[in-house]
Amino acid sequence: MVGWIWDPIVATAAILLGLLTAYGLLRIGHKIAKPRPTVEKMKTYACGEELKPEETHSDSEQFFSPIRRIFRPFYRYIQPVHTGVLSTYLLWAVVGFIIILAIILLTVR
Amino acid sequence: MIPHAPILAIVLPLFAAFLMPLVGLLSKRYNAAKACDWFAIAAMIGTLLLVADMAPSVWGGHILIYKLGGWSPPWGINLAIDGLSIQMALMIAALGTLVIIYSAGYMQRDTRKDLFYALTLLAITGMMGIVLTGDIFNFYVFLEIMSVSSYALIAFRRDSNAIEAGIKYLFIGSLGTSLILLSVAMLYSFVGSLNIADLGAKLATYRDGAQPVPAILIASLALFVTGVMIKVAMVPFHTWLADAFTAAPTAISALLAGPGAVVGIYWVARLPYLPFGLPVGIILISLGLLSMVVGVLMALTQRDFKRMLAYHVISQKGYMVLGIGLGTLGSVLGAQGGLFHLLNHSTYKCMLFMCAGAVLFRTGSQKFDELGGLGKNMPVTALTFLIGALAISGIPPLNGFVSKYTIYLGGIEAGLPIVTAIAVLVSALTFASFFKAFSSVFLGQRSERLRETQEAPKLMLFPMLMMAVICVAIGLLPALGFNIVGPAQSAAENSAGYISQVIGGI
Amino acid sequence: MSLNYTIAMLLIALGFYCLLFKRNLIKLIIGLSVMTDGIHLFLISMGYRTGGIAPIVTSELSSNLSNFASRAVDPLPQALVLTSIVINICILALALSLSIYAYRHYGTLDPYQLRRLRE
Repeated sequence: MVGWIWDPIVATAAILLGLLTAYGLLRIGHKIAKPRPTVEKMKTYACGEELKPEETHSDSEQFFSPIRRIFRPFYRYIQPVHTGVLSTYLLWAVVGFIIILAIILLTVR
Repeated sequence: MIPHAPILAIVLPLFAAFLMPLVGLLSKRYNAAKACDWFAIAAMIGTLLLVADMAPSVWGGHILIYKLGGWSPPWGINLAIDGLSIQMALMIAALGTLVIIYSAGYMQRDTRKDLFYALTLLAITGMMGIVLTGDIFNFYVFLEIMSVSSYALIAFRRDSNAIEAGIKYLFIGSLGTSLILLSVAMLYSFVGSLNIADLGAKLATYRDGAQPVPAILIASLALFVTGVMIKVAMVPFHTWLADAFTAAPTAISALLAGPGAVVGIYWVARLPYLPFGLPVGIILISLGLLSMVVGVLMALTQRDFKRMLAYHVISQKGYMVLGIGLGTLGSVLGAQGGLFHLLNHSTYKCMLFMCAGAVLFRTGSQKFDELGGLGKNMPVTALTFLIGALAISGIPPLNGFVSKYTIYLGGIEAGLPIVTAIAVLVSALTFASFFKAFSSVFLGQRSERLRETQEAPKLMLFPMLMMAVICVAIGLLPALGFNIVGPAQSAAENSAGYISQVIGGI
Repeated sequence: MSLNYTIAMLLIALGFYCLLFKRNLIKLIIGLSVMTDGIHLFLISMGYRTGGIAPIVTSELSSNLSNFASRAVDPLPQALVLTSIVINICILALALSLSIYAYRHYGTLDPYQLRRLRE
């Protein structure tokens, strides 16, 4: 009965309409209450320290700390292995070649 | 059709590269400041016209064969252009033109631009040679031309990061091409011919398991696959790519990420069918999945703008290799999705690197912690970055959605729904990572020292806008992309047709 | 003939060992060069024919070409190796010049110390 709702053009139009509505609501909200950060307001977030609002920036490495917690086995073992040493990287290439040789031997024979 | 068009498409950038120092000398004497730029742009537009001229006859169904020196295959070297080659050649020529227009704007503060353009045109010559040739040793020579030019281009500005990245890329890349040379040597010793079609014909008896495969052929296949995977930067051979794209001048990162990915994926698409014909599907699928996941997880915690984009290159190339691997399991949509994703990825990744380059050019910094709030100063750059970020995450109605959706359908069609699940998860993590990038650089508070940054120069904005238009156009009208990718995928699978047209037409 | 192949494989293995386990960039470059020389030796030995003659058609051999073709050594691998030697000279020159710049920037040529780009 509502098969027309999965029509691609209708879906695209619905997505674009939703985006425009969200943008419009955002603009109306900003007109009513503009964000005005001052040094006094920043003190609540900075535990009393005086920081200029222009100089603050969310830390780019800890931005996704929940995702780091979920994928913790990966980040504990694989991220430190990218040591930056050339000889280690060449060793990986040779080990990878041996693994590919083993896989081809098993699947092609 | 322009006569001798296939060989002219390779020779035109080559001669332009060799004439470039002369043009530089003349421009200094006669005080014509921008002569090098215009010469390079003219050479690339000429190449694009030649390739566009070859395209209609190839899409009409027959393979263009050009015999070098009049020697017919399999005794001479020939160029064989089928549907797959013409898609790659079109991408290299079109995106190469846009990258050279961009570098005319980006490198305006550097000296010795004539040497820069000479090396860039040599790299583009190497890429065109790889996708147009029909001879496997000729492929090795053009691969080395492209590789050595890119080693020199990465270390172009000779600061410590660039030298370190150039050294790492040189050693790992040379290892890869040496493995390919050893593989070609073993193939020649076993078969006695170097022509790809001839090799395919002579190795056809091992294709369906009719005879047991001899050990030298297994060693040759393993070496070739490893060499190609080092060039495509699949995990665990991916280590050179993050350093190289961070330290290179951004125009070169755009060149290597856009057209440079084409040559690796061209050979990955040919691998299951020509010249070996042995089943490598499981290697492609597993390396593709591994690269997708490792790439995006490493990209989530980066502090540096270009390094994050480089890890996303690894992740998206994993999608392409996965799609082609699904194609070997019988899923036509998977192979088409992989090749279509190559088309889309080159476009939007070039555009994303160009946005990063525009920000670096104007502010002098490429780390997230030092940037912020540039959306008011650089609106056009922010808009094209937004389009690129939505495209790479697979959001409709942009082109990334079409190709990723085709790969998802290919995963289900091949009977592996777990692959589709992992691909959707990686798309979500990609979107998260670009969300952080966009809000860190273009939204938020703008610090005092960034108050006077201007919009990027017009020469840099023009290629970004062209690519944004292509992204939106392919997203709204996917038939544009499928008209290019459909013949490419059927030509890649149709190895018997390739062999019969190249050798049968003596 | 198998002596040639054995020595070629030995050279390739030695080249790999130098590339993976040595601690000086110049030694890594030497290892890369030794490895590609092993591959070239392998490629030339493949074209050899026992008791063969050089593949050059002189005036006294041009009369009986089929006999010449069955006795001559294969010239194609020789052409391939010449091309490959030239390519490897280019890579060698580029690698040495990059090592000179690396020494100027870092003060050392140890690959374990060239680690400013990591993770």
